[in-house]
Amino acid sequence: MTLLILYLLALLDGLLCGGRVSMGRCALIHKRVYYLRALLRGLLGAQIISTVALMTLLAVGGVSSHRAELRDDLESAAGRMMWVFVPYAIAVLGGLALRLIPSTDLRSATSVMALGPLSAIRSPIMIAGVIYGIAPSDLLETRLLGLFVLMLMLSLEYFLNYFAAKRQAAEICQLI
Amino acid sequence: MHELISKLCLLPGIRRSPKITDLIVRHDPHSLERLLVRKQDVLNVFAKFHNRQAMRAVEELRAQDDVLDAREIDRLLVSIHWEMQRLGEEFYHGPRVHAAVSATIATIRAAGHSGPLRIVDIGCGIGYTLRWLAGRTQIVSQGVELLGVDLNSALIREANRLSRSENLPCHFVHGDAFSPDHSGQIYLSTGVIHHFRGPALSEFLSRHQRPETLAFLHFDFQPSFLAPYGSWFFHILRMRTRIARHDGVLSAARAHTAETLVQAARSSAPEFASGMHGVHIWNTPLPRVFHTLIGVRRTLLPHLKTHFGPLASRLGELK
Repeated sequence: MTLLILYLLALLDGLLCGGRVSMGRCALIHKRVYYLRALLRGLLGAQIISTVALMTLLAVGGVSSHRAELRDDLESAAGRMMWVFVPYAIAVLGGLALRLIPSTDLRSATSVMALGPLSAIRSPIMIAGVIYGIAPSDLLETRLLGLFVLMLMLSLEYFLNYFAAKRQAAEICQLI
Repeated sequence: MHELISKLCLLPGIRRSPKITDLIVRHDPHSLERLLVRKQDVLNVFAKFHNRQAMRAVEELRAQDDVLDAREIDRLLVSIHWEMQRLGEEFYHGPRVHAAVSATIATIRAAGHSGPLRIVDIGCGIGYTLRWLAGRTQIVSQGVELLGVDLNSALIREANRLSRSENLPCHFVHGDAFSPDHSGQIYLSTGVIHHFRGPALSEFLSRHQRPETLAFLHFDFQPSFLAPYGSWFFHILRMRTRIARHDGVLSAARAHTAETLVQAARSSAPEFASGMHGVHIWNTPLPRVFHTLIGVRRTLLPHLKTHFGPLASRLGELK
């Protein structure tokens, strides 16, 4: 259950990363399709890193001589990570939910006061969450797996941004 | 206090420094022809202001025989303006302009002007405001023409391309917004007015005094205690290019106070009753990011409060 929630949080993170890196790269007025594609790219990216993380986890579990102990240790680490990631996700979703209120002042304030700062602290939150999860772990495998997953999570936005920038540069070169 | 904070946030010399985008593209003011820009000349200007951040950004630009590569500059400007559109989207600039412009149109109609109206967006860039109005509202069906004017031909080409690609009923021209060919009944601008300082601000506002012009609405950053920090934080987070970050923060730091704008408007365009709109959030002392210098022909004044409806509470004194 804990792993499932972490997986869903990773998908949500990928979705929002996809949206975020696409912003400011398309100047159309009607761009629902553009954003939908961007969100799907983010979701796909998150799915890929989740799959890589799961495969690595299974591989390590498969070769480990203390499989049951490793599983318990991983679950405990994942449970601790949720104490950081879940409140963060609630804050982000809360900021987005505020935008449903039809007030231009409130909506623009959420950008400056909530969503901007929350996206700024994404990487520190990722690092803090993983460290908080793996630091008290008994097994070295758990710590290494945690760091590996952290690296995957941090690389997601970097790669999404890298490819979005490439696409944008190519589009502008075609125009001018 | 505000001054002290601003000094801490941006060195005073840098606050007086011009924007990078104002220097890397230059046009002949009469023929509007693009002029060659020497990289070293631009660097010299920023060196005078000890503006190292701007110098670093300019040093990165490609040049041949010290002349900045015009095509690369145009590409850069277009990408910066795409990013700036995002800022407009996040601040819900379209709905804000729509609310104020609709109320102004209703005021003009109520005063008996039933003919076609032209809204001219001065320094429209890639035309986000007008394209938003054309694409998201029914304003054009009310006998209103939307025309954007800018001195930068690359941005105008991009504005027209974007407008065509979505079949939007608005158009954009390269030129002087106050020339007889482009003049309109309502002038508006976004983030433009702080470019004009001292006598240039008065001259800009005095150019509204033409028989056909009935109103103007100039949206710009509002200087406040928090503005330099907020702007810096927002640009670091949201803007990707070094130039957009530099110029964006400078815009907020150099924005005119409401008093400066109102005084300049009242003395330079006395045919209009002018004042500020949307200075505070709701009825709190909290400043909005943008405030609006609004001016209307004095004959329209009796109709204004009625047709501004709920927005009337955001109107300052117009005289």
